[in-house]
Amino acid sequence: MSRVRLENITKRYGDETAVDDISLEVEDGEFVTFVGPSGCGKSTTMETVAGLTRPTEGRVYIGDDDVTDLAPKNRGVAMVFQNIALFPHMDVYENISFGLRLRKYDDEEVRRRVEEAADIVQLEGMLDRMPKEMSGGQQQRVGIARAIVRNPDVFLMDEPLANLDAKLRVHMRTELQRLHRELDATVIYVTHDQAEAMTMSNRIAVLNDGRLQQIAPPLVCYNEPTNLFVAGFIGSPSMNFVEGTLVEGGLETNNFTVDLDPSRLPDVAVGDAVTLGIRPEDVHLSSYAESLASSTDRIDARTDVLEPMGDEVFVYLLLSEAATGSMEQDPAASPNQLLMSVTPDTEIEAGQDVDVVLDRSRIHLFDTATGDALVHDITDLPEREPGTTPTEADS
Amino acid sequence: MSDSTESTDPNDTGGIDDAGGGPPRDPTLRRPDGGTTVLEDDRDAELDRGPFQRWVANSISHPERVYRAMFYVAAIFFLVTTLFPFYWLLMVALTPEGQLQDIVFTPNGFNPGAFVEVFEVIPFHVYMFNSFVIALASTVVVLVIASLAGYAFGRLEFPGRTPLMLLVLVISFFPPAAFFIPLNDLFNTSFVFLEPVTGDGTLYNTPFALVTPLSAIFMPLAIFILTTFYGQIPDGLEDAARVEGTTRLGALFRVIIPLSAPGVATAGVLTFIAVYNEFFFSFLMTDGQPENWAPILDGILAYQGQYEVLYNLMAAASILGVIPVAILVVIAQEKIVSGLTAGALKE
Repeated sequence: MSRVRLENITKRYGDETAVDDISLEVEDGEFVTFVGPSGCGKSTTMETVAGLTRPTEGRVYIGDDDVTDLAPKNRGVAMVFQNIALFPHMDVYENISFGLRLRKYDDEEVRRRVEEAADIVQLEGMLDRMPKEMSGGQQQRVGIARAIVRNPDVFLMDEPLANLDAKLRVHMRTELQRLHRELDATVIYVTHDQAEAMTMSNRIAVLNDGRLQQIAPPLVCYNEPTNLFVAGFIGSPSMNFVEGTLVEGGLETNNFTVDLDPSRLPDVAVGDAVTLGIRPEDVHLSSYAESLASSTDRIDARTDVLEPMGDEVFVYLLLSEAATGSMEQDPAASPNQLLMSVTPDTEIEAGQDVDVVLDRSRIHLFDTATGDALVHDITDLPEREPGTTPTEADS
Repeated sequence: MSDSTESTDPNDTGGIDDAGGGPPRDPTLRRPDGGTTVLEDDRDAELDRGPFQRWVANSISHPERVYRAMFYVAAIFFLVTTLFPFYWLLMVALTPEGQLQDIVFTPNGFNPGAFVEVFEVIPFHVYMFNSFVIALASTVVVLVIASLAGYAFGRLEFPGRTPLMLLVLVISFFPPAAFFIPLNDLFNTSFVFLEPVTGDGTLYNTPFALVTPLSAIFMPLAIFILTTFYGQIPDGLEDAARVEGTTRLGALFRVIIPLSAPGVATAGVLTFIAVYNEFFFSFLMTDGQPENWAPILDGILAYQGQYEVLYNLMAAASILGVIPVAILVVIAQEKIVSGLTAGALKE
């Protein structure tokens, strides 16, 4: 097992920059997920680790070795592919043993290791089947067995569950976690599904536009996103964003004001545009306000649409101004809308006027201009260190 | 006949309704003038037209009959034009020498011994062996090089790919005769470094004199076929093979070529047949002696002496010469079909 280190990896295709200066380190035995929207460069980044793509700039290290110029076969990596990529002209045994046979292991050793790998992924008795005779889940298990049979230093998994149906996906998710624990392997996993990223990883690397946005444990990405993109991408449904302006003594938005001392915020000053972020579960009915350590003033709202999910109910709130006739607008894109999640026993119905409050300890503030996070809790803002006032910093 | 009588009606819908032979329709619906025309009924209409007009009307309403007729005409035409020469060749071969006049559909006599005699008069089997070796060697050369080229053209992005591919195809449009004189000159030139291989240092009278130019001439088609096939293999399979431990070349031979078996078979068979049947270079690049790698062509012409021409033996030799190719086509056809049905890839 080995750690993987990327140093300033950049990949350009002509004028297109697919990966832009990514540096990160995956520890020995760690499960790191690259997550991001389509085209964010996560697969390309993984391909540079596998050796299938040569980075335009930067170095790749596995263990202590610089492998940037090594062919994929000499890197000690194994890969599981999104389109499964079993060799259709070989049966399961031949598929799993492909790498071992290329490395000229003797037949007994090959058979022993193939059977062991097949046991781990529960494929006993299917070794003489052809891939096309198997279901999608079985095929992907063969793909995983093909990867583990060589006992590689690093596992690379490129959206291995994307082509499976929803139920099987959840099942395979737990199997992969179990596998990671059993093998104690270094795993790099690529997905666009943030639920997979949250549940499986030790750390998540969030990518967007070829740039690394944040690499941190899942809950840190969730609770302390470094910027607007991570805040919006991690979490389902995503965080509410309300644009506002800093004024003396608070943050003013279209519909409500949040009290705070702008001079205690880093890097911004009165008059700057600041975006408030609040997750649906941190928006509460005002009757609930007393149980919060610190809440905002009441905000008038009207419930628009209810989405009962069983364990919780998502309530789309129209803030008071918008409630009086902005229906020609797409309500989901409206800045006057908030999404709240409540427990299913809450008595609430569509079209009802309600008062809501925000949990101040869960309010995130972002600099609208740069997208960077300012604070993740506005209950007890730290005194700003002297000499770092924004006016000075800007000048 | 009821179909044809109905279809002469001007309001006929084109034979769709007629096919079922359902209940007769309301006549007033079929006559916009309510049936007051001079043509009182279908029988009168038919009388008004000649057989050719009837046939035309019938064809318009039932085009599938015409298509079927055209298919038979075309099929019979091609069968006759391709198979009759072989039939006639067989008749000539079976006719004893000296009775070769006026053979049309039957041989003048019966002499199957000609098929043995061909090997007694000259060593025809040596000529066949030569042809076989030359065709096989050319096919191997073409498949190996065209596979590498097909991989590059089909699976790699590089600047100038399209112009280069066009250039390769343009070469295949050149008349091979244009290359003959320089090549013949080249092959008759003695090179010191070739002396250990060919004795006198020239390529003339060696299989290389045929394999080299013929491989080059039939290469573009093979490249084109293989490019198409290799380009269709999903990238993921090649990536998987490379991560598992092959080089790009290893992935080509272990994964891409096996999965493109129908394409490789097609390219190989076409090349083999083309080289085996080639006339121009085969005729001119050796001196016609069997020990100097002369192909079948020279063998057949060897029955042509100064004082007599053994047409029956030439015919018999021609038939024997076709047999290997015929066998190859039959075998390869099966392979191609089985390859096509087995090659279901999951993308």
